[in-house]
This record gives sequence, structure tokens and C-alpha cells, in this order.
Amino acid sequence: MDAGLKASNSLNIGHLYGEHHGWLKGWLRTRTCNSADAADLAQDTFMRMLTLRQMPALREPRHYLVTIARGLLIDKARRQTLERAYLEVLAARPEPLEVSPETYHLIIESLLAIDTLLDGLGQRTRQIFLMVQLESLSYVEVGKRLGLSVTTVKNHLSKALMQCIVLMDA
Amino acid sequence: MTSAPASVPDKNHLQAAVAWYLALNDNEVTPDQHQAWQRWLDADPAHVNAWARIEKLQQQLRGVPGELALPVLSQMGVQRRQGLKLLLLLATGAATFAGYRSSPYSADFATGTGQRRHVKLPDGSRLDLNTDTQVDIAYSAQQRLIVLRQGEIFVTTASEQAPARPLAVQTPHGRVLALGTRFDVRVLSGFSTVEVEQHAVEVSSRDAPRQVQRVEHGQALTFGAAHMGNLRLGSAGNSAWTQGVLVAIDWRLADFIGELSRYRAGYLGCAEQVADLRISGAFRLDDIDGVLANLQVSLPVKVRQLSRYWVRIEA
Repeated sequence: MDAGLKASNSLNIGHLYGEHHGWLKGWLRTRTCNSADAADLAQDTFMRMLTLRQMPALREPRHYLVTIARGLLIDKARRQTLERAYLEVLAARPEPLEVSPETYHLIIESLLAIDTLLDGLGQRTRQIFLMVQLESLSYVEVGKRLGLSVTTVKNHLSKALMQCIVLMDA
Repeated sequence: MTSAPASVPDKNHLQAAVAWYLALNDNEVTPDQHQAWQRWLDADPAHVNAWARIEKLQQQLRGVPGELALPVLSQMGVQRRQGLKLLLLLATGAATFAGYRSSPYSADFATGTGQRRHVKLPDGSRLDLNTDTQVDIAYSAQQRLIVLRQGEIFVTTASEQAPARPLAVQTPHGRVLALGTRFDVRVLSGFSTVEVEQHAVEVSSRDAPRQVQRVEHGQALTFGAAHMGNLRLGSAGNSAWTQGVLVAIDWRLADFIGELSRYRAGYLGCAEQVADLRISGAFRLDDIDGVLANLQVSLPVKVRQLSRYWVRIEA
């Protein structure tokens, strides 16, 4: 049954690709202002569909494709924002930091992964999480710094940790 | 036909894992709490699964360089919400983070955990403060009094021209009168110790100030508020900490780790199974993490680190 499913899956994808690839690329081009990016993202969208275990029954395939493509666009925008933030932080350092391209890539990937886990948390919660986890400040120190009780600090931290471990791929 | 979400642990277990992590990450975590955590972990494989996520998250966080990750990730949070006005946060944030380190102590001289400090007193005497130490200086026309509230100091006295004022170190448990000397005083919970490196001191308990015990160079003494211990031989290398070194000669691993833990914030402990291993050597106190990493090479132990505040040596 699995093999049959896979075969029908790639059949479907082939069909979808033929029908909608050109249209999706056009949709993306108006949003990226760059046809190379649009082509990459369209390709990634279909790649993403190939990795699905089961092809959903699509009544409105274009709607579905756009949902995936939009997610990829957001990821891309977030990555760009993060890379920019990273470069600004580097530039603000008193001493230059030598980073190889491989390391750079790894650092950006790791930062993105953490940022994704923290997505949607309030700024204060995020800040407390980062102070405890990355700066190794004690709860008391964080509370003093932000004018909060230790209990409040722990509540924020607990919320952030919970979201992270719920969202993470095991 | 949807994929089974079998690998996602129960929400209650995740919540419990978070609560345990919060407790263990506290810099006031006790060994009791740790044992309770271990019992929780052992009680159910589902707990192990939930805990594995905490460990994985910690690994992920350790994988990024903190001094970069902190400003970048703070900025990302603000940016999503408020758009652009965060260069400010960045510029001031770094400075505030750097500036905020030691909390203000009310003592005249103090060190935080892991810090050491060298102080020169008005009469030319010198004090070395070891980790987590608080000292008040109460010099008067009659005497030179050094009040050791907590921690450990090494005193090198300067001789005064006649009429010389006596120099003494006061601890919560008694008083150590210097007789032109170099000596070490340490306050522990319930008692103090003194160890003399040169000449001699006279020790009296807080509640029996008239009974005086003389301690000669090379000797050590433990005294409580109401009792005086027996004289014993001092341990070689006792003052090596003033040079940033811990000297251990055939120590139990548990004692060694206990001593190291003075210099490191949070829980640093040692499992029963490895407590009786023996260790000798000279170890750098300003690189405890390096010392711990080396332990894994020289002894059959593993270092288990969950956070900066929780490290345990295990079999």
C-alpha cells in the first residue's frame, strides 16, 4: 500500500508541477521582485510537497501551493533579517571576529532554529529566556535587572522553555 | 493514515521536565533536589523522554556563541514586534550587559564566586580574598581588626613601629591574633579554620575569649564559637589559591569536587560511584571548566552538564 501511495504521490506532484509551476513562479515574482529568487522558491515549494508522506486531496491546489510558498517567503525574510542583525552585531564589536563561511552558515542556522522556537513569545518572555540561557544570569539577577520578582522571572522562563520543547523536533 | 505522534511526550511530562529544569538551574539548588530529580527521572521512561528534550534544547543553545546570539536574538524579538527601532537596544544593551556583573556588597572588600582579590591595607599589611568572601576593615588607634564575615583570606601582616597595634582577624566563631605572620583564615558553616605559614597566631573562641590556643607555623586549627579543635599538621599547598592554583594530594574525588565547587556558581557535584576515586595534582582555578574536561581524560568519569549552573561528575 505504501509503495502505491508513493507512486500516486509523485504522479500527483508531476501533474501539479505541470499545471501550476509557471503560475506559482509568477505569483512569487511579484512578491520577491527578483525572478531568480522566485524560481528558487517555486522549486522549494514543490520540493516541500515531495517530502510530504501523503499527498493531501487538493480541491484548490493553488491555494495550497501559496500557503507553502508564503511560509518559505517568511522563512527567507526572517533569515535575511537575522543575517542582517548578525552582521550589525559583528560590526559593532570592538574587535573583528574571523568567521569562516562554513561557521557562518552553521551559526545562522542555529540562531534561526532557536529564533523559530521562540517565535510568538512576548518580548519580555524572550528577553528573560535569553538572559538566563545565554547570559547565565541567575533568576535573582534577572529579576533585579528588570524590576521583577523571582517568581515572575520563573514564570516567564517556564513559558518559554515549555514552548521550545513542545515545538522542537525530537 | 496520519503519522502517529508517538514521539511527542505528554504535555504534563513536559511541564514537569520544565519545572525540574527550573529547579536544577537555580544557583541555590541543593543535592536533595538533585536526588529528587533523579528519582523522578527513574520513575518512568516517559520522564526520560520529556527530559531528553530539555537536554537537547540546552545543547542547541550551547551551540551558538553567546556574545553574538544574545544581541542577535533579542533584536529579532523586538524587530518582529516593533519594526526598526532597535539599534538603540543593541548599542546600549551590550554596555548594560557588560556593566552588570557583580552585585553591590555592603562589605568593605568582597569577591563573588570564582573571583579573587588582592588588597593592600593602610598599614601596609596585605590581604588576599578568595572566592565568595566578605571582609570589613575596622582599624582604630588601639587595634587593627579585620572582620571576616564569610569566605577565606590570606593575611600577610606588616610590622608597625612601636607602639605597634595588635592585628587580629575576627570570624563569626572567634578571633585570630597575629604574631607577625602569614596565615590563612577560612569561615565554614559552623566553624572556622586557621592555618599558619610563618611565625604564629593565637586563637580564641567567641564564647571563651580567655582560653587561648597558640598555632605555630606549619600547623592548623579548627575552632567553633564554643569549642576549640586539636592542633593538626597544615596541608601543603593550602595557600596556593592565592596564586590561582588548587593543590590536591591524594584527595577523594568528592572532596576535590567539593573544593572546586566553591569557585563555581551553581551546583557542581559528584556521584556516589565515583566519590572515592583518588586525585592528585595542581589545578588552575580560573579555568574550572577546563579542569573538569581534563578529569574525563585522567579518570573513568563523565562530566554531565545541563546548564552553566548544573554540573555533575558521574561514572
